Amino acid sequence: MSARSARRTGWNVVGVAVFVVMVFPVFWMISTAFKPTDEVNSQTPTWFSGHPTVQHFADAIHKPFFWDSVKNSVIIVLIAVAISMVLAFLAAVALAKYRFTGRKLFIVLMIGIQMLPGAGLIIPLYVVLARYHQVDTLTGVIVVYISAVLPFSVWTLRGFILGIPKELEEAAMVDGSTRLGAFARILLPLVAPGLVATSVFAFITSWNEYIFARILLNDQSKQTVTVWLSYFLGTSRNTDWGALMAASTLTAIPVVVFFLLVQRRIAFGLTAGAVKG
Amino acid sequence: MRLRVVAVAAMAVLLGLVAATASASPQRAQANKLTVWLQVDAQSGWPDVVAAANAQFQKDHAGWTVDVQYQNWGDHLQKFDATLAGGNTPDVIEMGNTEMVKYMAAGAFSDLSSFKSSFANSGSWLKGLAASGTYGGKTYGVPYYAGSRVVTYRTDAWNKAKIKKPPSSLAQFTAYAKKLAAANKSVKGFSPVYIAGTDWYFAMSFVYDYGGSIAKTQGGKWVGNLDSKQSIAGLTAFKNFFNVASKASKTSDENHPAPYDVYSQGGAASIIGPGWFSCCVGTKYKGVTAQFVMPSHTAGQAMPGFLGGSDLAVPAPSKNAALAADWIKDFTSTDAQRALQAKGNIPNATNLLGTSVNERAATRSWFVPAAKHWVDVENGNILRNMLAQILKGKLTVKQAAASASDNITSVLNGS
Amino acid sequence: MTHPDGMAVAAEAPRPRRRRLTRAAIGRGTVPYLLILPVVGVLGALLAYPIYRLVILSLQKYTLFELIRHKGVWVGLDNFSSILHDQVFWHTVLRTVIFTVANVGLTIAGGLALALLLVRVSGWVRILLTSGLVLVWAMPQVVAVQVWYWMTNYQNGVVNYVLTQLHIGDFFQHDWYASTFSQLSLVTLLIVWGALPFVAITLYAALSQVPRELVEAAEIDGARPRRVFLDVTLPILTPVLLILTSLSILWDFGVFTQAYLLIGPSHITPGNYLMSIYLFQEGFQKADYGKGSAISIVMLVIVAALSFFYVRKMVRVGEVE
Repeated sequence: MSARSARRTGWNVVGVAVFVVMVFPVFWMISTAFKPTDEVNSQTPTWFSGHPTVQHFADAIHKPFFWDSVKNSVIIVLIAVAISMVLAFLAAVALAKYRFTGRKLFIVLMIGIQMLPGAGLIIPLYVVLARYHQVDTLTGVIVVYISAVLPFSVWTLRGFILGIPKELEEAAMVDGSTRLGAFARILLPLVAPGLVATSVFAFITSWNEYIFARILLNDQSKQTVTVWLSYFLGTSRNTDWGALMAASTLTAIPVVVFFLLVQRRIAFGLTAGAVKG
Repeated sequence: MRLRVVAVAAMAVLLGLVAATASASPQRAQANKLTVWLQVDAQSGWPDVVAAANAQFQKDHAGWTVDVQYQNWGDHLQKFDATLAGGNTPDVIEMGNTEMVKYMAAGAFSDLSSFKSSFANSGSWLKGLAASGTYGGKTYGVPYYAGSRVVTYRTDAWNKAKIKKPPSSLAQFTAYAKKLAAANKSVKGFSPVYIAGTDWYFAMSFVYDYGGSIAKTQGGKWVGNLDSKQSIAGLTAFKNFFNVASKASKTSDENHPAPYDVYSQGGAASIIGPGWFSCCVGTKYKGVTAQFVMPSHTAGQAMPGFLGGSDLAVPAPSKNAALAADWIKDFTSTDAQRALQAKGNIPNATNLLGTSVNERAATRSWFVPAAKHWVDVENGNILRNMLAQILKGKLTVKQAAASASDNITSVLNGS
Repeated sequence: MTHPDGMAVAAEAPRPRRRRLTRAAIGRGTVPYLLILPVVGVLGALLAYPIYRLVILSLQKYTLFELIRHKGVWVGLDNFSSILHDQVFWHTVLRTVIFTVANVGLTIAGGLALALLLVRVSGWVRILLTSGLVLVWAMPQVVAVQVWYWMTNYQNGVVNYVLTQLHIGDFFQHDWYASTFSQLSLVTLLIVWGALPFVAITLYAALSQVPRELVEAAEIDGARPRRVFLDVTLPILTPVLLILTSLSILWDFGVFTQAYLLIGPSHITPGNYLMSIYLFQEGFQKADYGKGSAISIVMLVIVAALSFFYVRKMVRVGEVE
């Protein structure tokens, strides 16, 4: 017993050490956000500010278009994630549960699209969107994000659905319902964690995306949070590091909150299908 | 049940179609809207000047609005290229003066020669700035403002080292630097004159001061000139000055860190940079900060300074060229220029020049080769790399200069 | 109400499978196509033309001049030829492959180690560590780069300070961005740091699915921990590991933002190019879109080759039904 608890304590120490090292950059960002500018630039770093200030947070919030960009990011990301999940789920069901010609091709396409370097597609995509008058619109960005997230989502959801034990599905059949009916009533709840896990991934990818948002959106009132952040560094004049760190902290908060809420689900969800391939 | 299948599928298809072709958006370009791209510097530095120009324009053209969209220096050209491909360019765009040639050569801008006389003070535009907006004898860019480089220094630190007044020659400045280093031995990593290792804007000033140049034309082709005797003399002078004066990283650029941040922490007795550096020297040294013009190696003269600046141009696909020119006229009026001058910028015409240190430094200046592939030299960091190699001692000045020169020759002559 | 299908199942009880499939061939034939139609529709509407354009552009000379006039000049395979004859290209490929191997290796190994650690610690430490990983995962890339740059900067970076304080050496004003190796090592650290949470949490979840009985049975049989891991745990983790590895290869080979921003635009030279930076510099900065498109296609081919083995395994794993 005691040998085991000694070993466990040993692991706990290692765990805490790993935590400190991993989280250090996050800690440094938050700590810098509270330091007065003189301390931020000082030659000798201080761990916790002697004179913490919230001035940087005030500066960040008052920088033009902060709330607009948060609103835009939330709208874009929520819509993009919701639509992608529905579309991806349907396609994943088709891939996992049906045999049809072209299935292999579809799978290969889903993987292949993920291999395309995004940079090479920026200009042609811009031209396409300009043709549909979707440049400088939220819907244009939403569509781009949906396309970016779909292949991975289809692929992952297929894995989850494959992982659902066949017995449950067949039990539903005997019940007298069709395949699709069985899905809706019995399998959907089982796949829910997988959906949550995939949606979290889609959320983070979309929230953090920069290049397409930058190129597609001109009007500052339509920009997303990542673009808004870039303005701290885009000027050739004074870069306010304290304010940048404060702004970064603020923009990371929604993601962290969302994450902590669904965190449990992810762990369960990722395994449900993943282990069974 | 089959109906249910079809219903579900139809719903999904509908959703997909909505997502893919949502062109019901009311975001069409308004008929009477002028789109202007200015850099973020204007938003934070002189928003009142922008507002005044917009007000004047809207007064002169009833029913028109001006939409100013602020850009970052880092990616504004990528965005511009995207709009050129998509056919929805802004009506006015601010371009860095080193960025102009590439786009003028490609035919990206409308010819503004016929409007030239309507622009304020166009007869006495600063030669350097005006040249950056001219191509094939035609005017494509209107000078917006300029900037030069000066030395910002701490009078208290200089007094402590028993230095009475600013140096009149490079040799004297070097001697002062040694004095400042001795007087501040206790401060670890102290720079008498903080200069970033790859600050090519400053380093090339030495090259031009000694009569060299970055590149010149020979029989219609560009030839790199950094390996000439004069250029090498200049580079050697820079290396010697750096070694005495600066403890900055030999590979860092002039923005990382910002020199005034080092200054405000007491890490430097002087810094080289634009005149507006004095804004950000921190509370501790604000009262003891002054500026002077960087001296040449020839006593009594100013070292040629890089004349940075911006031009305003009208992209060719714009359908409102005449109106765009009118907005530019409002934005570069004499009043507007005076306002910019008050904020520490150099105005665009010689008759507006004052006697601030900033403007005095602009009297002797140099500029980059007017080659359409010049931006490729900048983006490829050829000069920065050369300076880093020289300062780190990896290559001798001669070797580094020769290699960079060959590189520049091939890049500038690229198709 | 009776169901035609239900009746079929009941009546054909001895051989249900065959009948169901027969019906499926006719009646259910259109369902899967309807299900994938939205995805195909969206991706087709948005990506079909750009991908087509990408291929066309790679066969054209399309610089700023041509872009403004919306008309390219056909040059056939010249773009590809110039890339393949470019020394810089080959050095970059090699450098990127090594970089990818290092990143993927460290990410998977580190993630696995973290997952194993998570299994062995007490509940409160597990929550602490998982929350920490979540915080790291949630940080936007551009923000993370700024923070890392800030921590490692020459003038007053905290990393230099700590290393000096810990007497590991004199790191006062140590320039982490002075050499290619140092730059790319920092980028690797940043990317692995950012990728660990996803891998660790996924593997931890997978580990907790390993049936206890199997592990205990093996231990009772006298197997040492390493044997238990290799023979019992690892096979069960294989599908997940395959997915994670192939994804990591895709992402790490094509990584752009972190590398470009951390190294810094002013430090980028052909000597420290990664493939995506090479694409950006040669394609976009020089406004040579024809060449950029050709580079994109070459990158696609290379990545497909690198991940082929893993992807094929993944596709096969799911085919058993």
